[in-house]
Amino acid sequence: MARLNLLLGLVVIISGLWLVKSSHDARQLFVELERAQTESHNLQIEEERLQIDKRAQATLGRVEELAKQRLQMRGHGPEITHLVSSSASASAAGGAR
Amino acid sequence: MSRLLDALRRRLGRPRKQGKAAMPAVRYATSPLLASRTPTWRVKFMIGAIGLGFAVLIGRAAYIQIIHTDFYLQQGASRYERRIELPASRGRILDRHGDLLASSVPVPSFWAAPKDMTASPTEVQALAQALGMTTAELNRRLASNPNFVWLKRKVEGDAVQAIRDLKLKGVGSVDEYKRIYPEGEAAAHIVGFTNIEDEGQEGIELAYQDLLSGQGGSRHVIKDRLGRTVEAVGAVVPATDGQNVRLSIDAKVQFNAFQRIRDAVAAHKAKAGSVVVLDAVTGEVLALANVPSYTPGDRHNLTGAQLRNRALTDTFEPGSTMKPLVAALALETGRVKPSTVISTYPGRLTIDGSTISDSHAHGDLTVEEVIQKSSNVGTAKMALQMQPREMWEMFTAVGLGQRPQLGFPGAVTGRLRPYKSWRRIEQVTMSYGYGLSASLLQLAHAYTVFARDGELIPLTLLKREDTLPAGVQAVRTSTNGLPAADGEPLPVHGVRVFSPGTAREVRHMLNMVTLPGGTAPKAQSPGYSVGGKTGTAHKQEGKGYAGNKYRAWFVGIAPISNPRIVVAVMVDEPSNGVYFGGDVAAPVFSQVVQQTLNRLGVLPDQEVKSQITASNVPAEVESF
Repeated sequence: MARLNLLLGLVVIISGLWLVKSSHDARQLFVELERAQTESHNLQIEEERLQIDKRAQATLGRVEELAKQRLQMRGHGPEITHLVSSSASASAAGGAR
Repeated sequence: MSRLLDALRRRLGRPRKQGKAAMPAVRYATSPLLASRTPTWRVKFMIGAIGLGFAVLIGRAAYIQIIHTDFYLQQGASRYERRIELPASRGRILDRHGDLLASSVPVPSFWAAPKDMTASPTEVQALAQALGMTTAELNRRLASNPNFVWLKRKVEGDAVQAIRDLKLKGVGSVDEYKRIYPEGEAAAHIVGFTNIEDEGQEGIELAYQDLLSGQGGSRHVIKDRLGRTVEAVGAVVPATDGQNVRLSIDAKVQFNAFQRIRDAVAAHKAKAGSVVVLDAVTGEVLALANVPSYTPGDRHNLTGAQLRNRALTDTFEPGSTMKPLVAALALETGRVKPSTVISTYPGRLTIDGSTISDSHAHGDLTVEEVIQKSSNVGTAKMALQMQPREMWEMFTAVGLGQRPQLGFPGAVTGRLRPYKSWRRIEQVTMSYGYGLSASLLQLAHAYTVFARDGELIPLTLLKREDTLPAGVQAVRTSTNGLPAADGEPLPVHGVRVFSPGTAREVRHMLNMVTLPGGTAPKAQSPGYSVGGKTGTAHKQEGKGYAGNKYRAWFVGIAPISNPRIVVAVMVDEPSNGVYFGGDVAAPVFSQVVQQTLNRLGVLPDQEVKSQITASNVPAEVESF
C-alpha cells in the first residue's frame, strides 16, 4: 500500500512538472507567434507606405517634369501624331462584323 | 465516577509497595494527579467554537468562490491581463483606375507623463531638438499637465528614431494613422482632408466618412513580468477596416485639368479658376479642379479662398451660356427653326423702359448665328415669345436652381426665382443669363442635355460599375445606336428634356461657335470637332455690376459628332488685358479636351490640318 502511494506521488510530481514545462513551451510558442504577427503587420504597413511613395513618385506632374527637364522630351501635338490601328484590333473588328 | 477513583487508588497503592526497588515511572497520561475535572459544558463550548470557526471559514470561502467570484476574477485579471486595442485603418480613396488618391499609414505620436520623467536638463534639451521645438516651448508643454501631455503627434522620418534613442523615462508613443495624399493639390478639393483625429473635414473624406472610417477592435492577453504577451484570453474582437471608396475621377485627367487652369489663372493674372470634366456617356465626373488650391497633407496658413471648392460652391450668373438652352426651347416648341431669321438691328432693344444691347450691331441673323455670335437682342426676341412658366420649367428640368444630387458637401443650389414673380424685362435678361445663378458644375450638367440627345443624365462622383453579365455585353448599344465596342462605357439614361432632333440642331450651333465667325475659335482642339458656348459677365459687386471685373467661362462638348465629354471652364477676374470667355476660358477648354480625349482613347474625328488655320481667325466679339 505504501509503495503504491509512493508511486502515485511520484507520478503526480512528474505530471506536475510536465504541466509546468508544457505551459512554458506554449507561452514561448505564443510569444513567437505574436512576434511573427507583429512582423507581418509591420510589413503590411511598410507595403502601404511604399505604395504611397510609389504613387507620389509617379504622379503625372513629377513624371512630366522629369521627362521634360532630364530627358528633354516634349509633348506630342496632334499635328505630328499619325494614328494607326493595330492589326489585332482590326481583325477583331472584322470578326465582329 | 466511582470506578475511576477506584482505579486511581489502585495505581497509587502500587508504587508504595514497589517504590524502594526502582524509581517509579511517572505516567502523566494516567496520573490521577494530573487528571482534571473538565466540565462538560466547556468541552461542548470548545467544540462549538471551533465548529463555528470552521463554518465562518467555509462561508467566507463560499462567498469568495461562489457568490462574489466575479469581483475577484476581475481583480485578478486586472493584475495580469491586458486589453490591447486593435486600431482600424481608414479606407483608401482611389481614382477610377485604382490609383491612390488618399491612404493611411500608422505613424507614432509621442506623449509624456511629466510626473514620471527623470530627464536631466540636457536630456530635455535633446528631446526638444528631436521634436523640433524650443526647450522653453517643451517645458511649457510639460508643465501644463503632470499626468499626460502630447509631445508631438504623427511624427515622421528620422525624428522618430532620434526620440526613441533618447530612451527617456516617462516618454512613450502610440501609433496613430496619418492620412497621405499622393496627388497633392491637384485633387485637393475633390478628396478633401481629415483632422488629427482622422475624421473627414472636407470633400469625399467628409461625404463618405461613415464608409471610410473603420471600427476598432480589441483582444485580451496575459502579459508576463517582461511585458511579453504570453497568452490570449477570451475571444478577439477584430478591427473592421474602413472601406475603400473608388471615385469616378481619373487622376491623369484631373491633374491635366488642374495644371491647365493653374497656368491660365497665372497667365491672365486671375483671382481663381475652375474646371469640370464630365463623362457625357456615364455621367461620371472625370475631373473637378480649382485654383487656388492647397496641399491636403500640410495645411498651415490655409485660407478660405484656397479651401473653397469653387466649381461646386460658388454660384454666378451664367450669362451667355444660357442662350443655347433658350434657343433649344424655342426650337422644341416649334417657334423657330435653325434657319429662321431674326432681326437684331440696330443692336439695341428697349423693353419696358430698359435697354439691352449687343456689343455691336449684327443686322439680320439666323437662330444659328444668334448663338454663334452670342447676340443678346436675338435671344431676347426668342424669349419674348415664351411664357415665363415654360422657361422656368426648362431651367428647372436641366437642374438650375436644384441641388446637384452628388452627395458632396457644400454643393449649392444656385438661384432661380419662381416664374410668377418674373417681370418681362427679367424674363428677357434671364434668357441671356442674368438674374439667375448657377455653379460651374450645374452648367456642365445642364449641357449634358445637348451631349446626350436631349436627356439630362444623373451625375456621380463614384465610379459606375458595369454590372452587366459577360454574355449580355454584345447587345449593349453605344450612344450613337451602334453596338458598343469592348471597353466602351455603358451609357446611363436620364430624364428627357429636349427631343434628339433639337439637341442635334443645338449641337450644330455650338459647333459653329468654335468655327470662324463664332465667339470662340480658340476652343478648337486639333483632331476633334468641338462645340460650346462662351460666357463673359460683369461681376456683381454689392448692388450693381463692377465695371472692370469680369468672369469668363466656356462650357463645351467634344467630340461634337459623337459627344463623349462635357468640359466647363471658369476663370474669375482675368486682369491681364483680355477677359472674354473666348480668349481666356476657351483655350483651356481646348487643351483639356485634347488631353482628356487622348486619355480616354477617343479617336480623332477630324483631319488635323483644317484646324490650324481656323484657330488664327479672330474671335467674334461677344455680347454680355
